[in-house]
Amino acid sequence: MQKFVVVALNSLLTAGLYATMSYGLAVIYGVMRIINLAHAGLMMLAAYATWALNDRFALDPFVSMVVVAPAFFLIGMALYATVIRFLPRSSTGPSMQSLLLLFGVWLVLQNLAYAIWGGDTQSILTPYTMESVRFLGGRFGVPQILVFVVSILSLVGLTLVLRRTFLGKAIRAVTQNRDAAMLSGVNAGQIAAVAFGIGTAFAAMAGSMLSTLYAFTPDFGRSFLLKAFCIIVLGGMESFTGVAVGALVLAFVENFASAYTAIPVSFQDAISFTLLVVVLVAAPGGLPGLWRMLDRKVVAR
Amino acid sequence: MGLLRRHPALVPGLLFAAALLLAPTLAERGTLNDLWNMAFFVVLAAAWNLLGGFAGQVSLGYSAFVGIGAYTTVLLANAGWSPWVTLPVGALLSAAFSVLVGLPTFRLRGPYFTIATIGVGEAVRVIASGLDFTGGSSGVRMPPGTFDFESNYYAMVGLALATLALVAWLQQNAFGLALESIRQDIDGAEALGVNSTRIKLEAHAISSALVAVAGGLYAINFQYISPGTIFDFRLSLTIVLMPIVGGMGTLAGPVIGAMLFSYLQIKVLASPTLRDSYQFIYGGLLIVVMLFEPRGVMGLWERLWSRLPRRRTPAIAEARGAG
Repeated sequence: MQKFVVVALNSLLTAGLYATMSYGLAVIYGVMRIINLAHAGLMMLAAYATWALNDRFALDPFVSMVVVAPAFFLIGMALYATVIRFLPRSSTGPSMQSLLLLFGVWLVLQNLAYAIWGGDTQSILTPYTMESVRFLGGRFGVPQILVFVVSILSLVGLTLVLRRTFLGKAIRAVTQNRDAAMLSGVNAGQIAAVAFGIGTAFAAMAGSMLSTLYAFTPDFGRSFLLKAFCIIVLGGMESFTGVAVGALVLAFVENFASAYTAIPVSFQDAISFTLLVVVLVAAPGGLPGLWRMLDRKVVAR
Repeated sequence: MGLLRRHPALVPGLLFAAALLLAPTLAERGTLNDLWNMAFFVVLAAAWNLLGGFAGQVSLGYSAFVGIGAYTTVLLANAGWSPWVTLPVGALLSAAFSVLVGLPTFRLRGPYFTIATIGVGEAVRVIASGLDFTGGSSGVRMPPGTFDFESNYYAMVGLALATLALVAWLQQNAFGLALESIRQDIDGAEALGVNSTRIKLEAHAISSALVAVAGGLYAINFQYISPGTIFDFRLSLTIVLMPIVGGMGTLAGPVIGAMLFSYLQIKVLASPTLRDSYQFIYGGLLIVVMLFEPRGVMGLWERLWSRLPRRRTPAIAEARGAG
């Protein structure tokens, strides 16, 4: 029972991080119907930016997020203005062209990092990296707890923006129905630029936080991109609550699978990839779709 | 002359093939190595193009099939089997795996299929690094005495030519038409009686078997493989980029792409500053192609060709005007 509680708490901590790294992908998908493959490259770049600030100015990774996230918001806007804007719009779903274009952006970012920092593995060591807290009979790393707190704060912040401000309402309107939003006077192009900025800023926050937990190279981020994609598919692609639920599901499945089955830890990544394929195939509408399907069956009876 | 008119690429193709097959008597070893590499890329690009180009199912997980071919050859060669057996066995295993992967993933469309294939490729790499019989992440070596460059050269060039011939043949029969119809409109194709899942599975199996044979020859030529090289995501990436840059869904596109990329690789490997970041060029190419000419070099060529002022017989001009 105690093991169960510890594993569950660990899953909850992981879920916070997972939600942050998935929200960026979900915002961009919602507004533009684009799967941002460059997300992984942006997370990696933010990890390096955090590392560089820590290395040069001894800035704490969590403090440097205050600089890194707004900077990446601007980078995202710039990326939109120079490249993404020129993609032909597709109303039905993400086009192959947009996927491959963003894949190209990812490669450029990745190799920018190789050119600047080389291929060596980097990591950030802070005074509290090795510290841990005892709670309910388990040990929880201080970085993990800080990451969870910051994740929750950023998610609350995003929710407030989306619910309370005109900008947030416009973003949600474009997500739900682009044409209707434009008819109501929303500048969809501008909203898309801002949404790409927000998505990029969230990728950056996730990257900064990942840099406190893992070592990284310019190749970093691919497995996290797949996890994030798995989460937004689980969450039904467009729903922001769905993302939080998806993050919880993935984190619990991963942690419980490696704690309670014979699957070795080195295969943990394979779990999420398999889950991704299974979810895509069995429940393309994600959990909301599955819920609606079951609901309909019950009603039919 | 009817044959020539229908296949304008036949004469240059045959001349090119003859030059490649005669090369070992004329050229130096360094040049032959480069040609071997180009042939390897031609096989990968042309085989991928069968599913990714003609049928429009862009897969980013092809390094899994290269890896299966390579590992089968190395592991069986260490058990004393001859390459004549290991290469076909690798092809069969790879085709079987492609069906296993294809059955669930082909239910997905467009980008969802693409992302699922990244997942499959990564899962295979992670598992191959963690297993014991594959030598884990440190890889495995071929048994000594299995290296013979000249026969490997002929095998790889022969495989490349056979792949191109097969693709050219498939392209102009019903199978090629079915692939094309799936790319254009999968629902329309289904409505006209194309069993899209079955056609996709077949194309996947054929291309993954070809890629696996190339992987086996790769293992024999380099005598050593590891998950880091053979299951590398960058290999999957190169496989996809070659046909895209050259021109997806055409016969010549992947060949152009393979020539371009093998040339780039030679240039890049010669300069130490670029070695770590050569994919900078790849990414830039991909962005430029997607923004300006998604049909690659072949699309660009067609665009320029149609702009050229030239005399047309009245019938053709009329037909073009009507079309």
